[in-house]
Amino acid sequence: MVELALAADFAIIIIAATAIGLIARQLGQPTIVAYIITGVILGPVLLDVVTVEGLVDHMAELGLGFLLFLLGLKMRLEDIREILAPISNIAIGQTVLQTALAFLVALLLGFGTVEILVIALATVFGATPVIVKLLTDKDEVTSLPGKIDIGVLIIQDIYLVIILALFAADDLGDPGQIATTLVVIFTMMGFILLFSLVSSRYILPELFRRIADNKDVFLIVAIAWAFLFIAVAETFELSVEVGAFLAGISLAQLPYSKELEDRITPITDFFILIFFASIGLRIDSAGALFAFWQEALIASVVLMIGNFWIMYYLIDREGFSVETSFLGSINMVQVSEFSLVVGALALTQGYIEEPVLGYLTLMALLTMTVSTYIITYNHAIYERVHPWFERFESDVHIEEVTDPYRNHAVAIGFDEITEPALPILKEGFDTVVVIDRRTDHIDALQEDGRYDAVFGDFRHSEVRKASGLKNAKFVLSSSVEVEVNEVLLSEVSDDAIVFVEAERIGDAYRLYDAGAAYVIMDTFLAAEQLCGYLDLLFTDVEAFDQLIETEIKKIRRRSRMVDHEQHPFIEHDVGLGEVGGRDD
Amino acid sequence: MTEFILTLASVFIAAGVLLLVANHLRFPAVPFYILAGLAIGRLIEQDELIILALFGIAFLVFVFGSRIDLGDITSVLRHGEAAAFIQLIIVAPIAFAVGYALGDIFAFEDPFRNALYFSAAATLSSTLVGAKVLEEGIRKNLVYGRLAASIHFFDDVIAIGVLLVLSAEVLTDTQLVTSKIGFGVLFILAGLLVSRHGYPLLIRAAGGGDELVLMGSISLLMAFLAAAEYVGISIVIGAFAAGIAVRSEGPASLGVRNGIESIKDFFAAIFFVTVGALVAVPSIEVVILAVALVLLVVVLNPFIHTMAFIFEGYDGRTGFLAGSSLNQVSELALVIAIQAWLLETIAPTLFDAIILAAAVTMILSAIAGRYEQAVFESILAPFLSERTGYIDRNSQVDEELSDHVVIIGYGRHGRRIVQQLEELKVPYAVIENDPTIRVDLESDCANFVFGDAIASYPLERARVANARMVISTVEHRPVSEMILSTDSEARIILRASNSREAEKLLDEGADFVSVASLLAADQLVEHIKYVINDETELDSLAAQHLDYLQMVELSDLEQHQHYRV
Repeated sequence: MVELALAADFAIIIIAATAIGLIARQLGQPTIVAYIITGVILGPVLLDVVTVEGLVDHMAELGLGFLLFLLGLKMRLEDIREILAPISNIAIGQTVLQTALAFLVALLLGFGTVEILVIALATVFGATPVIVKLLTDKDEVTSLPGKIDIGVLIIQDIYLVIILALFAADDLGDPGQIATTLVVIFTMMGFILLFSLVSSRYILPELFRRIADNKDVFLIVAIAWAFLFIAVAETFELSVEVGAFLAGISLAQLPYSKELEDRITPITDFFILIFFASIGLRIDSAGALFAFWQEALIASVVLMIGNFWIMYYLIDREGFSVETSFLGSINMVQVSEFSLVVGALALTQGYIEEPVLGYLTLMALLTMTVSTYIITYNHAIYERVHPWFERFESDVHIEEVTDPYRNHAVAIGFDEITEPALPILKEGFDTVVVIDRRTDHIDALQEDGRYDAVFGDFRHSEVRKASGLKNAKFVLSSSVEVEVNEVLLSEVSDDAIVFVEAERIGDAYRLYDAGAAYVIMDTFLAAEQLCGYLDLLFTDVEAFDQLIETEIKKIRRRSRMVDHEQHPFIEHDVGLGEVGGRDD
Repeated sequence: MTEFILTLASVFIAAGVLLLVANHLRFPAVPFYILAGLAIGRLIEQDELIILALFGIAFLVFVFGSRIDLGDITSVLRHGEAAAFIQLIIVAPIAFAVGYALGDIFAFEDPFRNALYFSAAATLSSTLVGAKVLEEGIRKNLVYGRLAASIHFFDDVIAIGVLLVLSAEVLTDTQLVTSKIGFGVLFILAGLLVSRHGYPLLIRAAGGGDELVLMGSISLLMAFLAAAEYVGISIVIGAFAAGIAVRSEGPASLGVRNGIESIKDFFAAIFFVTVGALVAVPSIEVVILAVALVLLVVVLNPFIHTMAFIFEGYDGRTGFLAGSSLNQVSELALVIAIQAWLLETIAPTLFDAIILAAAVTMILSAIAGRYEQAVFESILAPFLSERTGYIDRNSQVDEELSDHVVIIGYGRHGRRIVQQLEELKVPYAVIENDPTIRVDLESDCANFVFGDAIASYPLERARVANARMVISTVEHRPVSEMILSTDSEARIILRASNSREAEKLLDEGADFVSVASLLAADQLVEHIKYVINDETELDSLAAQHLDYLQMVELSDLEQHQHYRV
């Protein structure tokens, strides 16, 4: 198959990145750095065996699209509404002050006027992919500092789109044309945003209620939704990222987005690796890269320190706590790979020379690498320095208003086995979170109102996280899949009480070994019940009749109580090559 | 931005829209992907998509390989789903002949080879679609679901072999073909080796990070693909061997398996849409070929399968239900076709015909799945069910038996009840239709009928009219209905999966219905109350249950040496 030769570059990148990633992991380094280094090694700087063309370029672009889609999926509007105003203030202040700082640094380092302008405009951005990826890996995207950073990054992205549009314009000198371009951009963005919000209220809930029960349809339709937005954004000459992000936001408002997040993450991981490697690959040669290495080094140090203080000042001014201000700022000290995009465009337009691009690249690489470590260890750094920062403690505080579950009960599957147990759990543990994979069950639970409902398959880590599994005191699983229950048992805290269900004796042993408090086995119960009845029937018919009469009453009562369909509550995934086991 | 992103956008938007339709009509996804491809075929540039489509194939087979339980292969071979072999031996040559004749008429360049493609498409059936059609049967562990699933599995393995052989450009060159097979075996051995020694190492090196294990698995896939490419065998074999290499169970790899699954779904969608997009406007030749293929798949296949199952000893209904769910072109036949398309060894008309036939049969199969029970009742039951001679030969019931208990199903439940009745010294008769446990029936039970309780004769044979009680251990509505319709004074105890179903059965005349989940719920409520009040009681609860399980297990082992728990 000749065509596959085209994919060779791609295969080389994946394999090399994994190998370097594994080494990095052994040394305790973040994977992003490994991926960028992979690009540097494979690209023109060192080996020159791979080029950023065709497939690799497409995949890198897809990676960025998926990353932003995933980011959008995590943005619940109700979560960020109250901090929207402070975020806009921070973002605007940050853009202005940081541009000024970058301008000043470039001026002092002795660059030419146009070059200074390009450098200043190009170095404002925080590296969205780096920050988002690392915060996602650390599960901090939805923490307060995370939300501030993401909010600022998004406003920067809009700013970036504007700058790119301006740079792409033929003539920067005509104010009339610039104004028209700006109006067009804002109108289009506003239009897409509006569509995304309207659809998330009126179209999507009904659409996804219908399809969420079917795993594959669910995923592909969601991806189709993202591509619809990308195509629209593309038509209006906005970036892929903007479209993908807005598509993500509109889906995030649905109750079904947790599982989706977990299904999109691996696809993102797959493509984003190529994206990070392509950053390294884009560096033309070691010569161009190091032409201004001293300047780059100085500028990197100055900008990192300067950016930190600018952000810290701005966040602190809005009344956030010292910790939030510190973490929010320290995450944002790097220069983005977008500076390369802006730089590359400026180069083709003839505003700057090759070495200036090298300067920008080196600065981005340096600051991104360093900040990767900073973000990875942000809490540890804060622990070290926070006594010193206490002096900045201001009086007004906006505090994180999250309500994490603690010492609660989790029930997996809403069915005839778990349902009668829920009121007792409610009584014993106050909060009960029910996880279920069917939209009608979630609707029923929400209508009932006594229990919290999480939609999704328990196999997915985001779904488990959403139920606060790690802090649960009691967990009840009516899934009979051993591996699901084993994951459950490996994730709960040591003192949690876990009841699980199993079909086979061997499975029950495994689950007890894994730490289950009790294993429910309904097949045996039914057999035992019948055997007991048989005993009675052949010894005392009257007692038998009485007994079944009470049982029948119970069945009829229960039947009237439940009004759901007869399907199983957690869908069993039946796929290629699975042969049904023998049972009764 | 690029043309490429827009191409992908049209693929996914078309796929998304048609999936909504498929979901609404409750059809499987694959044929609708193909339809999406047909719809947008003329709008998009396919060259760039082909490579992503190949990734789709690679991931599909990769996932298949990674899920293979080597035990399944031996169990399929041992239980002999002999029907699979019989079907292969009969249908493949017939399809080959038809394919050859048509190829000859339409003057294909290489009628022999094209006839092979035709034959593969006609013989193999689809796991992805089949599993969807069979959902209920598989979920409830009914015999026909298990049977059909294992034939699907068998077909998939055969397809991999066919792909290996057909990746040789010249089939008459024996040396070439054997070298391909040799490489194939080497690859699979390499896969096994890696799964035993390399993959655990990778998981350890990744230090618990899902992302690196995922990328490591994909790297393995890429490496195997590259190696396959290098030695010139089908990439499908590379993907399959890579899948075998990353087989692993346990909670640690669940996230990774989910991840691979997502990536597979993404690329598989591209593959199926691209396949549809490659089809040209059908000519008369294409239509003739496609119709021939559809007829073979929809009529001949189920017929041969059903006959083979019956020959093997399954009852008519099980044979028919299993056989009729094997009436679609396999997605791996599409892979065979596209591999041939890339090698340029398939006639374009045949390529189009195979893809169209695949889409048509997959949809027909889903429709047929809804009516097969009814079709069986109204048309076939008289011919297939009442094979009284066969049932008589394989049953053993005391002619004088009366006042006894009739037990339907000899699974775990049935066994426990038989045990109890033997202790009580109450006479009984067991009805069971699964040939794989016939040996157990013969060795364990005093009276048994080998047949399907949905038909009236086996019940009659078990002397239901004279029975004191009928206990069904099968949660399958048609069985329950049949029992309720018998003319007998016996008390009837049935089983249902939930209370609503149970109430219906009670209303229809059952004396009692056992609902396992209700019992479990009662017990659960008790235990939870118990534990909430006094946490220290936890250990004794588990200990008691373990004791009980050991007891059950022991008695099981004593009585049924070959019963696998």
